[in-house]
Amino acid sequence: MHDKNRKGVTAMQELVLDIRGQICPACLLVTLREIYSRKELLRSGEAMLVVRTDHRDATRTIPDAVSAMGYHVNVSKVKNYYEIRLEYRDDE
Amino acid sequence: MVMHRSDFCISGIFRDIFLFHDFLRMRALFLLIVLSSLFLFLIRETGIISSYPPSFFGLPSLMNVAGGLLFGIGMVLAGGCFTGTLYKVGAGKTASFFALFGILCGSALYAEVHPVVLPLIRRTTLTPDRTALEHFTGNSWLPVLIVILTFLFLAWKWHRIKGWSQKAYAEGYIDPWKAAVLISIIISVSYAIVGRPLSVTTGFGKVTAFLESFFVPGHPENLLFFSQVSYRLVGNTTFAEKMGPGLDSITMTQILLIAGIIFGGFISALQLREFSIGVLPPFRQIVSAFSGGVLMAGGAFASSGCTLWHLLGGLPVFALQSLLFLAGLLPGAYLGTLALKKVIR
Repeated sequence: MHDKNRKGVTAMQELVLDIRGQICPACLLVTLREIYSRKELLRSGEAMLVVRTDHRDATRTIPDAVSAMGYHVNVSKVKNYYEIRLEYRDDE
Repeated sequence: MVMHRSDFCISGIFRDIFLFHDFLRMRALFLLIVLSSLFLFLIRETGIISSYPPSFFGLPSLMNVAGGLLFGIGMVLAGGCFTGTLYKVGAGKTASFFALFGILCGSALYAEVHPVVLPLIRRTTLTPDRTALEHFTGNSWLPVLIVILTFLFLAWKWHRIKGWSQKAYAEGYIDPWKAAVLISIIISVSYAIVGRPLSVTTGFGKVTAFLESFFVPGHPENLLFFSQVSYRLVGNTTFAEKMGPGLDSITMTQILLIAGIIFGGFISALQLREFSIGVLPPFRQIVSAFSGGVLMAGGAFASSGCTLWHLLGGLPVFALQSLLFLAGLLPGAYLGTLALKKVIR
């Protein structure tokens, strides 16, 4: 079920993707799928994607993969997990 | 702890080359094997290890390839090999608890089918007396030299494309290549002290026999797999070991190692304030982790060892069993990756 990833749109236009507890390598796979399915909304600048993960390696793989796609990445540690915020910036 | 810090997950290393064409950690694994090979060669030359070529690697059989294949599929589905599952359990990763349960169930299942597998191992044995590559080359230094020269050439190429490290934001992150250097030292030192590579496979068998004897008293003792005794020569001492319950050198090494890896993952996660428990993965992933554990156990017992034993212990000494295990592990990890893509959706 798609909804297992507990996502939802907040008032701040943050698309929250909570993938804590999931098996490797769900982090990057699910994040990329989400980026593709919400491409228009994210690219319009109206929303940002917030990924919550407890996989340490995701703090390497997600920033590496999405920065090449034009997303600005900010990683912070929140409690016992990591929050990776992805914001599309059209720098050209 | 080093494995947790760098997320040095062997399952992830193989999976990511197929899934994302991400070779960063594979390069580190190659460095780890080459360094271990060099260190073990030097330890052997100085006479610290006497039972060489290693007597603990048996005759190569096609079942090593079949076991590697099963293990490869299983480790990707489980989200970690034996070692990876253990340090992830220590760090509180819920999915890995199901994988660990799968490993124990798979071990119990294998014990039942062992009498069927054993003749297959014997029938598909490839050589009557050769266990390591040096039995073909006639000397021990040639394989080491070839691997080191190949590595130096590739290492230089990877250095030029900045392929050795990548920015990771996780607190206390250790670059995989640094972890590789540390782990190769740990492996070589333990090899020199204990006289054999690190392993957890037989330890898992022993834990399974112990637990099973609670639920079905008397049954494990009646199974060939748990009751057969093997004799291993380490240095000048012969150790009698068996899978079944009871204290022996397996308890003193492998069971303690299993406990040590779980404890190391736990301490590292606690130090970094990342220990968390209780968030359940989706049901499909629970099934995947459990069945991955079952497949891994079957593969490991059919091929006489897991990735820790074969890749980090056997490849550095060019054991034929380990080379065959790797030949099965690669396509297995590829198939596992295909299956995992269906699981995560």
